[in-house]
Amino acid sequence: MTPLSFIRPGTRRVLLAGCLVFVAFSVGGCTSNANIRPQFFWDAIFHPSPAIINGIALTLGISVIAQVLGVILGVFAAMGKMAKFAPFRTSANLYIWFFRGTPLLVQLFFFRFGIQAAGLFKWPEITAGPLDILPEILAGTLILGVNEGAYMAEIVRAGILSVDPGQTEASKSLGMTYGQTMRRIVLPQAARVIIPPLGNEFNNMLKTTSLLSIIGVMELYNATSVAAGHSYATFELFAAAAVWYLLMTTGWGFVQSWIERKLAKGTAGSAAGTAAGPSTPGWRGRFFRGQTETLGGH
Amino acid sequence: MTVPNISTNLLGAIGGVPRPDVDVVVDARDVNKYFGRLHVLKDVSIQVKRQETVVIIGPSGSGKTTFIRCINHLEKIQGGRIFVNGHLIGYRETPAVGRIGRPIAKVPVVGRRLSRSVGATKLVEDREKNVARQRQEIGMVFQRFNLFPHMTALDNIIEAPIHVRGMDRDEAMVMGRALLERVGLAAKEDVYPNQLSGGQQQRIAIARALAMKPALMLFDEPTSALDPEMIGEVLEVMKELAREGMTMIVVSHEMGFAREVANRVVMMDEGVVVEEGTPAQVFGSPTQERTKTFLSKIL
Repeated sequence: MTPLSFIRPGTRRVLLAGCLVFVAFSVGGCTSNANIRPQFFWDAIFHPSPAIINGIALTLGISVIAQVLGVILGVFAAMGKMAKFAPFRTSANLYIWFFRGTPLLVQLFFFRFGIQAAGLFKWPEITAGPLDILPEILAGTLILGVNEGAYMAEIVRAGILSVDPGQTEASKSLGMTYGQTMRRIVLPQAARVIIPPLGNEFNNMLKTTSLLSIIGVMELYNATSVAAGHSYATFELFAAAAVWYLLMTTGWGFVQSWIERKLAKGTAGSAAGTAAGPSTPGWRGRFFRGQTETLGGH
Repeated sequence: MTVPNISTNLLGAIGGVPRPDVDVVVDARDVNKYFGRLHVLKDVSIQVKRQETVVIIGPSGSGKTTFIRCINHLEKIQGGRIFVNGHLIGYRETPAVGRIGRPIAKVPVVGRRLSRSVGATKLVEDREKNVARQRQEIGMVFQRFNLFPHMTALDNIIEAPIHVRGMDRDEAMVMGRALLERVGLAAKEDVYPNQLSGGQQQRIAIARALAMKPALMLFDEPTSALDPEMIGEVLEVMKELAREGMTMIVVSHEMGFAREVANRVVMMDEGVVVEEGTPAQVFGSPTQERTKTFLSKIL
């Protein structure tokens, strides 16, 4: 088999074509155009400067933390939206309405600088061991996460609604409380519906972190921008940044399709699940037990 | 398919027949229920004594399923009281006081305090946690099984004993395996519901409800969603339960089952209890015209 056999053939063809186009451009560019200095490009990819490495780490780290925060907030906002108690519904709706109805850039400026200028709140710098979390990183991550939560709320709500009401009735009839029903019965089943759009959201998140440059976070885009300002290698360095973003989103794409394939097996009514026989029992136990415990935390 | 090996000591798996605290396990008094403007239960009163099996029959839309769903408060009621094992289900009695101290009931007010009116009480829906606690004593088996698809057969059974009753995991597994064995599914403990037949799923659903050691079991048309050849195995488990002295209310169209194990048959139509009696009375010599018509269609 080919060394890349873990990637689906269709994806493999797209990747190969992409690489060929890329190589053609770079070879063509460096031979025919004196304005392009390919060494900057190759260095930014194979020997990235500490600033670029730091930028990549920030982009990844902020994305993951903001997404996790977004999922947690999304679960609560979704349950709030469906709550019987009116104030819960109202606050969930207000939250979703505000964060989906205003641009992320406005939110970033408002919460990073606005409330600070008004003297309401000052973002602290947190030093945790070797990590030094600058105020803009802290603020940026939180704002991204809170913004993401508003979008996740609808996704989670759709997932919860997709679970058969009979499941809730069965767990209620066994004496489980609302919290137990959600944690142990409904959310693990909703996960199957939530994961695909969640993957999409995370893909977006990886790229949206570049907006944090506006409040001074030195993530990948900002680091590239600064380096380009010093060297004037704008074309080469941003091409390299594009490659880094592509590597991250493509890598995530593989992770996502792996999770989805795992989740698709053994779903009710799927022939694959029944046919797979003895191989199926394990995964759901493994996956969902992990899931419920992450969500539960009891 | 042959009827599987149903053990003769089903309740032995949960430590013997659960003993309800009172003689009348279910005491439903004048239950009224509306779906919007539709009056689906009209002054329904039913008593079920300890170790009794009551089968509720009636045409579809007669309110029989709604009624047993009210018994564990899956449906709210708008009037009447339901007591299970001595506890008022789903509601609390509070002094009949309006929000601004105005008595709800038209009863003479005694003294200066407006908040106390004689004997008049009003029903307020109970806290969710209390309702959940009351439901622990009431097992329910659904028409569509409603097993948890993300859990194995054994995990389905031990889920509530562990997380609701706080039972030790090993202890729960011993009990769960005993239950599985006695409903004839010892070999299926690691199997997920979607790999089981309807009859097998329903037997696991019964085991799951029994694992909570309920004082009462409710069956909501437990064989209606089954292929004909699987009805027998589920009925066999239910018959055994009745024989061993479980208190049960069964909504069913299985007249053979009703004849064989019911202590009492209740005929409902249009939200009203039309007729009530032993199977011999109700099936042999029904007194009401509606019962006769219904039985002639179904038998």
